[in-house]
Amino acid sequence: MSSVRNALRAAVGVFAALVVLGVAFPDSLFGLVTDTGTAEAALRLAVPITLAALGGIFAEKSGVINIGLEGLLIVSAFAGVAAAKLLGTGTSVGPIPSIWVAFLVGVLASTLLALLFAVVCIEFEADQIIAGLAVWLVALGIAPFASIVLFGTKNVQVSTLGDITIPVLSTIPYFGDVVFSANIIVYMMFVAVPACWYVLNRTQFGRWVEASGENPSALDTAGVSVDRVRYASVLISGVLAGIGGAALSLGHVGAFTAGGATMVNGKGFIAIATYLFGNYNPLGTLVATLLFSGLDSLQIGLQQAGIAIPSELVQTIPYATVIVVLVFVGRTRIPAAAGEHYDSGEDSR
Amino acid sequence: MSKFRQALERLVDASAKERIAVSAAALALSILVGALVVFVSGIVATCASPAFSVLGVGVCYDPINVFTELFLGALGHPEQGGWSPTNYRIAIALQQTTLLVFTGLAVAVSFRAGLFNIGVQGQLVFGALAAAVATIWAGAIAPSGVLGTVFLVPLGLLAGAVAGGLYGALPGALKAYGGANEVITTIMLNFIASNVAYVLVSTFLMPESSQLVQTAVIPAAAKIPNVPFIGFEARDAFSLVALVGALAFITGVAYLLAKTSFGYDIRTSGLQEQAAAYSGVDAKRTTVLSMALSGALAGVGGAVWVLMVKGRFLTGLPSLGFDGITVSILAGNNPIGVGAAAFLFGVLKSGTIAVDFSTDVPVELVDVLRGLIILFVAMPEFFRLIGKRYLGLGGEQRA
Repeated sequence: MSSVRNALRAAVGVFAALVVLGVAFPDSLFGLVTDTGTAEAALRLAVPITLAALGGIFAEKSGVINIGLEGLLIVSAFAGVAAAKLLGTGTSVGPIPSIWVAFLVGVLASTLLALLFAVVCIEFEADQIIAGLAVWLVALGIAPFASIVLFGTKNVQVSTLGDITIPVLSTIPYFGDVVFSANIIVYMMFVAVPACWYVLNRTQFGRWVEASGENPSALDTAGVSVDRVRYASVLISGVLAGIGGAALSLGHVGAFTAGGATMVNGKGFIAIATYLFGNYNPLGTLVATLLFSGLDSLQIGLQQAGIAIPSELVQTIPYATVIVVLVFVGRTRIPAAAGEHYDSGEDSR
Repeated sequence: MSKFRQALERLVDASAKERIAVSAAALALSILVGALVVFVSGIVATCASPAFSVLGVGVCYDPINVFTELFLGALGHPEQGGWSPTNYRIAIALQQTTLLVFTGLAVAVSFRAGLFNIGVQGQLVFGALAAAVATIWAGAIAPSGVLGTVFLVPLGLLAGAVAGGLYGALPGALKAYGGANEVITTIMLNFIASNVAYVLVSTFLMPESSQLVQTAVIPAAAKIPNVPFIGFEARDAFSLVALVGALAFITGVAYLLAKTSFGYDIRTSGLQEQAAAYSGVDAKRTTVLSMALSGALAGVGGAVWVLMVKGRFLTGLPSLGFDGITVSILAGNNPIGVGAAAFLFGVLKSGTIAVDFSTDVPVELVDVLRGLIILFVAMPEFFRLIGKRYLGLGGEQRA
């Protein structure tokens, strides 16, 4: 279980870093680390990264490197908010409240973009890195464009999905407050991680995905279409990233900001780093994500505590950590056929 | 007809010319899709007086008008009377071309070495900052006038190259000696660069009176001079000397890649890493050096932005680094092609201003086009398929 070892090693590293910071700021940091607000924010911030990373695992294990995760997050986050704004608050479509319809619209938008990416990569044999960049850049352009066309502004506010409190369990001190009285999206993450682990490690489909990335010709010989497995995997990455993106904008914030790097702001790329770091294991990926989101949350806490480090400098910590992690523990072995086209040899077109 | 067909057929088959055909087709297709996007958003958008109406539905934006502005407006409307080739719209197009040549070359060098340098933007930021700091610092001891320019401009460019080169060498070294994927590290380094530059400027380099996060103005002698007697209307922000310099860099990089042994190392590493290693290429050294060269080119681009356009460093740089990726991909990572693609994107930048000025369409449209162009260039198979199926082109049939 090298992914667990990786995660543990990094956890020790981050803990050491925290101790250094703790020595520097003894009063406030200790309080921050144990603060329930920090832990809650860390869980919430982890959701879009974790879901995008889970999607990335499916795509890359099947042999398609999906570097466009950032774009998928942007598109779903915007589409969700746009639909929520257009439907209005308090309405419903059939029995489904409008906010959930909006959520589904976000997931659908991301899935359609993933389908486009899949066609470009699988059908037309495009370079996956370049096509992924294109997905990112298209999303980065289309979200502010559509936002201005529809609403005349790059910042759109809507309502949120809200929290769920589980009775009894939520009365457990500290833990109950953090985990069992959380935003709905946090529960989605806790369901998605084991579900993905199960699908990848215990089902026929999971074995196909693995073979498609490691030895596609063997899969082909066994009579399974490599292209179909790859299409399915990329679409799954679209659905999962879509849930992550819609969760980001509709879950707790209830808004989409399309200016600059948009509110997604590199989360899709951090997601790639977390699954590399988690060695394509959903559980290891969750641990890695929690490390980053924990840092991010601490950073926000530090700002609120008024500690005199420029916020821009503190914001670089998660990015710098990604680099350190990639160098020292992230030397994972990528699937043998990742990034390569597979031609069955028959004339399928 | 048959002659036209033969010509097209040669284009489709000839791999040397194929890049050009694919790039042109990709460009045309993205404009077509872009026009469709404008048309559909024109139906969705609300406005006081629609541009035209289709089947009783008012359409707010006129796609033809938008793309006329984007390309002809970018050049100051040469089809109208009283046009002069030195108008300020052309100056802006050429200014952007100059800058994009550097970031485009930066990306091209790394791609040719088989490395995806997505961090050109970050290298540009540090190159720009270093150029500003160096010229401000040396301005105190430099003579004024022409002598000062001869001293300060090369100093600024050199500072930019060194800062950008070091920042580019970093992900190169992390890849060569730490095995860290350069796509991810360079993207992370972009975020780090803009944040660190912000902190450095706001903490140490801001004049007290300034409201924005920016350095002091560079000495007047440090501005890249223009050619005398050829007066562009926007001459403060565009210099023909800089453009000629950029073209010299194109020639230099083309020569380096084609004729030098280092260029050979880069190309073979990019094509077939193991073969390169067997033929005696030091892969690690080549990785670090090509990333350093790529970063240095980006850094020079940042320096030119300071020394020609802004006259100071300020945060919130334009996305020249990301545009450089598009430019290089459109050019097939060929240095000469980078010149043409940079001019096209210079025109798009200038056209963006024209679109903003004369239409109601959000200028983010151009960012959508940028993404679409990459998407289409990425799939030559698509055009080959269309060429075969609908134009009857391409000799060999798949068995």
